[in-house]
Amino acid sequence: MPVRVVESSAPSQVSGASSGNTLPQACSLLTVGQNVSSLQNEKDEAWRVNVCIQGCDLDHGYLCGTMEALNVPMADTPVVTFWEGEIVDGKNYTFFTGKWEATPEDDIRHWTKFPSFSPLLSRVEADGGKTLDLSSYQYIFMRWKEQYFVNVGEDCGLTIAGFYYVCFSCSDGSISGFYYDPKSSPFQKLELKATNAGRSGFSFSTYEFQ
Amino acid sequence: MPSASPSTSSGRPTDLVSRLSSSDRGVRLRALREVKNQIIGNRTKKLAYIKLGAVPAVAAVLADASDGPGPDETCNLLVQSAVALGSFACGVDAGVQAVVDAGALPQLRRLLSSPDEKVVDSGARSLKLIYQSKLAPKYDFLDHENLQFLLSLLNSKNENVTGLGASIITHSCQTSAEQRALYETGVVQKLVDLIGGSVSQRDASLESLTAIIKNNYEVTSKILEFENGRALNLINKFIIDKSPRTRLLACACLIAVRKTSSRYVEDMGLGLKLIHHLLELLEDPGQVGDEASFALSTLIEEKEDLQKLALEANAINKLCIHLQNGLSCPKRFQGILLALANICSKLEICRSKLLALQAFNLVSDALRHDCTDVRVAACICLRSLSRSVKNLSAGYFVNETVIIPLLQLLHDPSIAVQLAALGAISNIVVDFTKHNSNFIHCGGVKQLVELSMAMDPVVRSNSLWALKNLTFLADSKCKEVVLSELTASSLATLIHDPESVVQEQALALVRNLVDGCVDSIDYVFAENGVILDAMGRQLQCASKAEIGIQGMYALSNVASGSKVHKDAVMEQLFQHGGMNAQPFIMRFLHSNDNHLRTASVWVLLNLTTFCPGAAGRLQRLRNAGIISQLKSMVNDPCLDVKLRVRTTLGQCMNYGDSTI
Repeated sequence: MPVRVVESSAPSQVSGASSGNTLPQACSLLTVGQNVSSLQNEKDEAWRVNVCIQGCDLDHGYLCGTMEALNVPMADTPVVTFWEGEIVDGKNYTFFTGKWEATPEDDIRHWTKFPSFSPLLSRVEADGGKTLDLSSYQYIFMRWKEQYFVNVGEDCGLTIAGFYYVCFSCSDGSISGFYYDPKSSPFQKLELKATNAGRSGFSFSTYEFQ
Repeated sequence: MPSASPSTSSGRPTDLVSRLSSSDRGVRLRALREVKNQIIGNRTKKLAYIKLGAVPAVAAVLADASDGPGPDETCNLLVQSAVALGSFACGVDAGVQAVVDAGALPQLRRLLSSPDEKVVDSGARSLKLIYQSKLAPKYDFLDHENLQFLLSLLNSKNENVTGLGASIITHSCQTSAEQRALYETGVVQKLVDLIGGSVSQRDASLESLTAIIKNNYEVTSKILEFENGRALNLINKFIIDKSPRTRLLACACLIAVRKTSSRYVEDMGLGLKLIHHLLELLEDPGQVGDEASFALSTLIEEKEDLQKLALEANAINKLCIHLQNGLSCPKRFQGILLALANICSKLEICRSKLLALQAFNLVSDALRHDCTDVRVAACICLRSLSRSVKNLSAGYFVNETVIIPLLQLLHDPSIAVQLAALGAISNIVVDFTKHNSNFIHCGGVKQLVELSMAMDPVVRSNSLWALKNLTFLADSKCKEVVLSELTASSLATLIHDPESVVQEQALALVRNLVDGCVDSIDYVFAENGVILDAMGRQLQCASKAEIGIQGMYALSNVASGSKVHKDAVMEQLFQHGGMNAQPFIMRFLHSNDNHLRTASVWVLLNLTTFCPGAAGRLQRLRNAGIISQLKSMVNDPCLDVKLRVRTTLGQCMNYGDSTI
């Protein structure tokens, strides 16, 4: 008999006296070595994007890695950028960006584009989300900001002035994102799925700094 | 007639030494004075006379001195021999050893009860010099008589004698039992009183108080409560004393208090004050300046908040200026490198600051310094700087000016040096720039593999750690270099190493070797599957969760391959259990460790992924009760486990009605 899977409800509200951990839990699909890829749509142009997570420091709400854009019309080779991420955990970072020319209204407008954000909206509007318990929520929200081009010059015709609002699904490692740059067309979308290099299942590489 | 040696006007050193054993006391005294005058401040002469056996001869003079007529002559013999022995021990390890071996310590101790103050002074000063060395014998504070003797020293009216008492504590007080014994005997009260004494008493007392407080919460709390905080008030007063040495010792004492006492551990005001004082003391050109950076390291180590304060107090600039100006004193160089290593240990902003100041080359150049301690400190500093994806990606560490000296340090006979180099190497081989070929071309893999067979298990596990990091997302060329050096059978042996830390790193290395292109999975089948078999056997008897985690992720990676690979994993799950033992995967699914349960479910998820043979594998898992166990985990408290369990069970539903 199939097991009935009960979807978890929205994150619970943390009471004033709560002392439990409310930060997003570690997820084995959001770790170093994980690769995700798919198509990025900008109007009629589409190119493939591969993302590799290279660094992950949950205590500081930090993530980083590379983004490789293939078949970019303006470039002869794939374009690789290095990005750094902020994990919305209520401790290090909140849903409000507070920089990069993104206003709280911009923030809400972008987060609301993720269906998984809707259960959180009212709490975020009320108190910035600081009473949310994200520890059992199946989605992790982040902002990714590309810092520099790794293999091409800045005149390659691509821009990294903006940043991505990102939603990661803990259940299958898929990632959705919306690019925000006041000088670019809005809501350029990123849809990435976990890749497995021709394998029948998931594989995990590891490193650990001394 | 012996010809006069150019080194002495009163005869050759050998003659002088033989005159020390003369039956004539006057001859002995004159020889003693001459030797003493020659060796004071002259390390070369000290070593020369030690080689000639002067120390036992002087010790014999001391022992025999009281037997004989003439109180003045006796006094002179006692004083001169004590001073000579102290001088031999001053700053010369061989001298300390020779004095101890000659049995001179009890003789010197005897002098402390002399009615003649000059004799007492000379005995106390010499003993103090001896107790400045690590080679002085350990003083047993748990012996009642010893404690009483120590108290008598601290109660003396003679400043040199009280100073000796404090030096003995600084030298020998190490364990919490000793700290408690000293506190309970009233020694602490005496020391606090002595802080208010002369400069030398104050300095000696501050230093010994630090030794009693260090890491001892109970004793520290009592000292802080003592007479309404009198001790703390006094110590606080002296961090702004005019003597730099006193200021440094007072800071060191407060650092010990801060690290030990929870009341003060959160006191950022005190932390900031200490940082400022230490940075100011760093400018002292002498020994105080040399030691200030060590005290700073002790203050900020492991403390991110203090590291941030140090950054804001411009510590990195100040330390880098010293580096840029050149450091002739190796101890100061070592201290500054260690302080930089500590400030940059956790925060990216600190590492970025050091790199922005163009100090990287100064640190990497120190890898070739003459002094071992400086080279080790440079390795530790590089380890901190390379603990950063950003810095590794920027390619700071991939060139030969860094790699070659680090690899050379792996040949050092000292294990401490090897480990320091391995620490830095482990980080720099994490390849984000795809330039690891430099490390391989420099023979790095060969050396790491050699060290993976070292006698010391910590060296073995650290070299495997470096190999693991080297193979993170590595291409097949790199993996083949590693495996051809290491060989499958050696890796299998390391998986079964007697030490669990080695087993864990060996399994993590396998995990990385079989990740990536699906052909990599075949590495575990080399040499008749010796690696895969070793994995299964080790997992069956794994003593720690960490071993299970790495082993299960390695198995999971193998299980993400083809039917052949998945079937091979199934064999490993079931062949090692035997009649009475549960399959290890069942044990792991019951573990309290979230990561271990997660890794185990990943194995099952990959085994039941849609692929030829899945239905058969599922049936076998069901028969072993593993699917029932999974069903009981659908609401596992760990989200990661819960999600993987649900995905796995969801996959299982694909195989007909499956009678799950």
